[in-house]
Amino acid sequence: MKPLTNTELWQAALGEIELSISKANFITWFKNTAILSIKNGRVTLGVPNGFAKEWLENKYNIYILRALKNIQEDITTVSCVISSNQDRSFLSIKEPSVDAVLPPKKTIEYTEKRLHFNQETNLNPKYTFDKFIIGGSNELARAACYAVSQNVGRVYNPLFIYGGVGLGKTHLIQSVGNELLKSNPHLRIKYISSERFTSALIDSIKNRTIDDFKSEYQKIDLLIIDDIQFISGKEKTQEEFFHIFNSLYQKNKQIILTSDRPPKAIQILEERLLSRFEGGMIADISKPDLETRLAILQQKSAATNMKIDDDALEFIANNIKNNVRELEGALNRVSVSAQLTKKDLTLAYTKKILSDILSSGKRKGITHKHIFKVVSEFYEINQDDLIAKNRKKEVSRPRQITMFLMRSELQYSYPGIGDKLGGRDHTTALYAYEKISKEIETNEKLKEEIDQLRDQIYSLTG
Amino acid sequence: MKLICTQENFKKAIYNCERAVAKRNTLPILNNILFETEKGGLKLSATNLEIGISSQIGAKIEKEGKITVPARLISGLSNNLLNGDNLIIESDGDVLKIENKTNKTVIKGISAGDFPLIPFRKGDYLLELDGIEFKKAITKVLVAVAVNEARQELTGINIKLKAEGLFFAATDSFRLAEYEIKLKEKDINKEVYLPFIEKNESIIIPANTLIEFNRMIAEEDNFRVKIAVEDGQIFFEMDGIRLVSRLIEGKYPQYEYIMPKEYKTRIVGEKKFFQHAFKTAGLFSSGGSNEITLKIDAEAKAAFVYASGAETGENSTELKFDITGESQEVVFNVKYLLDGINIAATEQVAILLNSESTPVAIQEIDEKSGEVLNNFVYIAMPIKN
Repeated sequence: MKPLTNTELWQAALGEIELSISKANFITWFKNTAILSIKNGRVTLGVPNGFAKEWLENKYNIYILRALKNIQEDITTVSCVISSNQDRSFLSIKEPSVDAVLPPKKTIEYTEKRLHFNQETNLNPKYTFDKFIIGGSNELARAACYAVSQNVGRVYNPLFIYGGVGLGKTHLIQSVGNELLKSNPHLRIKYISSERFTSALIDSIKNRTIDDFKSEYQKIDLLIIDDIQFISGKEKTQEEFFHIFNSLYQKNKQIILTSDRPPKAIQILEERLLSRFEGGMIADISKPDLETRLAILQQKSAATNMKIDDDALEFIANNIKNNVRELEGALNRVSVSAQLTKKDLTLAYTKKILSDILSSGKRKGITHKHIFKVVSEFYEINQDDLIAKNRKKEVSRPRQITMFLMRSELQYSYPGIGDKLGGRDHTTALYAYEKISKEIETNEKLKEEIDQLRDQIYSLTG
Repeated sequence: MKLICTQENFKKAIYNCERAVAKRNTLPILNNILFETEKGGLKLSATNLEIGISSQIGAKIEKEGKITVPARLISGLSNNLLNGDNLIIESDGDVLKIENKTNKTVIKGISAGDFPLIPFRKGDYLLELDGIEFKKAITKVLVAVAVNEARQELTGINIKLKAEGLFFAATDSFRLAEYEIKLKEKDINKEVYLPFIEKNESIIIPANTLIEFNRMIAEEDNFRVKIAVEDGQIFFEMDGIRLVSRLIEGKYPQYEYIMPKEYKTRIVGEKKFFQHAFKTAGLFSSGGSNEITLKIDAEAKAAFVYASGAETGENSTELKFDITGESQEVVFNVKYLLDGINIAATEQVAILLNSESTPVAIQEIDEKSGEVLNNFVYIAMPIKN
């Protein structure tokens, strides 16, 4: 038998000691203890403070010795020394600084920010055009926004920007506001999310101040509404918005809207609103390409004076593709952990830090084939049956689950899913996805199965 | 256990111990104070496993023994007992009975067997200092200690141990205070102290420990305090009280390098006028950094303190004080400056400057000679422009 390491021995002994004393005593006295050395049957324990030393040496000596002896017979005595291992490793990270006294920071920025964070406009001053990185994916939207900011109300009215989460819609449209504010501080600008617009409207209805609400909005020179898709289905909001829209539009006041999808795709949007949205300029922002992502990272790291290797930046840009917010999050994450551990930001370090957030889906090179394999093995069916035209229950169910996983894990398009599964119609895939998503919420067993499948899929390439 | 003691002594011992009692701990007995008879007296002890305090008082012992009782209960009781009466204290199983002429109390306790053993020094003491002097040194620097700092070493007071003196220092990295106690022959236990300081240049004591220490010493108390350091722990002993605490491990910033050796400009004036000027300016200072400006005009022999805020307005005070050296214009966080002025104990105070980007010092002025006293320095950094 292999001799136990000190840690294993102490773990075993603690297990025994725990049985003979109360939980509270055990936690109080044995927390942060460890065997430091064993020599000729003499065990030296490291304990966190003088109280624990006194207590363990004088009161619990017998328990400790008995427990250790049961495991390793040759142990004769136990003594304690005070050592704060945990603390020390923590301290060694931070080098003692020579500058004991630093100048306190000026807080001008803070006060400026507060002034800008004007209640009236709601604009965040950090969003400006010069901080916006231009790439193929957002060129059009940026150009449109910039044109609007230079020539407000006369070109592209309304301006409708759409694109996925975290791609810079909010940045762009707030830049318009900030740019305008710079050249003409007296303009009345309002930035509001459609959700807040709705709740303000509801309040005004409740308090019978709806006329004030309307006239307030009709005085605005530039109205920016973020995430307009949320007014879908809210009839009264749409109606009021319609009136405000019309009145602003007639006076040549600028309106800027954003949404996560094009106007046509917003469900339950009144025809007259839809046609108005489409009457101006529609520009989309899509996912940034590699160069843009890299440029974003470079700008961000330069802005915070972060020292990071170029290949580390490239690694992040290569692996996080979907959205700018995630990109910045990843950069922050490596920067903070590098600061804490005082390590240089090299490629290897970056890889290590980001390994756990990169472990989902496509980024690990998982394809539909992996899913086919895992699903067919899990349900003990032939892989070919998944693709074949066969509607037996024992096959159709796994097939639906396959479709669901392809959609949820790999973001396949519905036609794509149908195509991969033997040329089925995209509605079949859509139906399967919706059916399984719905069922997961109520069917605990199915949820477990799906979770297991996911685990297996990811462990394949693990 | 059975004994008789005076109510005053009893109250003092409870007062000394109660603050060391654990606030929230997994071990219920740490909420209690230990009563035990020892060497013809009564000893009360309490600990939260960070610090331990025991306080011994004179008592007439009739029967030896020990017991623990909840600290909150016993301290509430002791605060409300009438003065000047003797107390008869007796333990019976797991209850403690306390009785004076008018009041009878029975408190449910826990047997003393599980009460932690409070460590006691094994070797000889290092130093034996005047209690009041020690307390003064702590008070002088305590204001600059960092609270809730991620850097643990800054939450303590650093004491540099030298053969000729002890240098107490505290900093929260924006300002720093240093106070020196000159060591006399009788203060040092030579055989122990001198070898000790060869290996240990300084120790860092948790500020909380020293706050407790200060609380236990009243201004009129006149006794000496013995100090020992062993095993990462520090032991204080004075007047029947023993206090033990862990020391903070880590390296204190080498602050000597940033202390200016000399100053170009000096302004000396009455402490209370400085206080008024800074406080009034502070009301108008802007933003979170409490900025005020100190302007010294060497030719006009005048100094001004002023502040303005976009939302508040403005305020300025002229200080007709004694100025030597060059003109200066420096921006400060008024809080840091005021803390330094407040802690100075002399009527006259000196503010010493070099430039708008180097530390400014506050020092005390000897009443008789008018010279700057060098045993206490408080420095703060100006705000960068």
